[in-house]
Amino acid sequence: MKNANEVKTELRGWIVRKAKILEEQLTDQTPFVEQRIISSLQLLELILFMEDLSGKSIDVKSLKKGMLRDVDTLYRNFFL
Amino acid sequence: MRTLEQTVQRLCDASRKDFTNPYDLTWPDAYDQEQWYTSPELISLYGTAFYTELSDAEKKRLSFLEAVNFFSLNIHGEKALIEGLARRLYEKNSGIYSDYLHHFLDEENKHMIYFGGFCMRYGGKVYPDKRIVLPRDYADGEEDFLFFAKVLIFEEIVDVFNVRMSQDERLAAIAREINRLHHRDEARHLVFGRQIVNEIFQEYTPGWSAEVLEGVREYLEQYLVATWREYYNPDVYRDLRMNKPYEVYESAFDNDACRKRRREISDGCIRYLINNGMLEKEPSL
Repeated sequence: MKNANEVKTELRGWIVRKAKILEEQLTDQTPFVEQRIISSLQLLELILFMEDLSGKSIDVKSLKKGMLRDVDTLYRNFFL
Repeated sequence: MRTLEQTVQRLCDASRKDFTNPYDLTWPDAYDQEQWYTSPELISLYGTAFYTELSDAEKKRLSFLEAVNFFSLNIHGEKALIEGLARRLYEKNSGIYSDYLHHFLDEENKHMIYFGGFCMRYGGKVYPDKRIVLPRDYADGEEDFLFFAKVLIFEEIVDVFNVRMSQDERLAAIAREINRLHHRDEARHLVFGRQIVNEIFQEYTPGWSAEVLEGVREYLEQYLVATWREYYNPDVYRDLRMNKPYEVYESAFDNDACRKRRREISDGCIRYLINNGMLEKEPSL
């Protein structure tokens, strides 16, 4: 089981790779969808990545607004 | 070149002539593990080491699971399509083609009966839809354009699969037949789609800023990639009991043979988008 830091590092790494940005451009509080760092069409890929990382399936129909806001939010909603 | 009105009339006539009862389809009691349900060359992992290392029985099982995935993503695509078409019935800009929207809706509903019938009878499930749609603002005409353009891209890719699999004698008869029935209607939908997408694009682009046009082109490129991503489903690889299904998904999508196949299958659609100015260059698939 990965700890919070390890999970957040993996999440940041994924976003940085997909968005082709520098690590310094993303903190755990950066609103990556709102700032269009990750597009709505890439969220499917993010969901698949988080399912693999958490070992749990995600029901996208039950997602509420803001649940994919930033890395901290992802951790709270899908890994705790 | 026919006007949109002439095309709509011709397509309505063809749909009435081709009217089918979806309950006439004969369903085998069970799926046959000895048969193919997706053409091997169209299986997502074909051309990769993952595929080569599978036994013959596993390859056939994968071809079945990929058929369930293909039909599942068609169900999700058609649900969104039906919602969008229903919303456009008798709206002020759709007066010319509302007659055809009735056929379009009817035929898409029938397709879901075929796809859902297959998935639930033989697979016991429909793979869930994991796409997320976020609300956003649109320029004048942009929402309609993107709606019909996305439908067209989705259906153009699906139709290549349908045509090839409807003619593939290796496939179980039920898989061939569903692909054939789908293609028969889609051929008309594609004629309509290509014309309506171009008409909306020509009508509204003069009023769009360079930024909007660039955003539309970027979105279409990303949509093509996102559409193809759904053909590589970690849940399918998990159901086949493959190790590390997410890594299989990522690795297969980046595989050169898979990329070449995506480009070949998408070629007709991409040519259309480029020739009509909707894309400026080939997207990186």
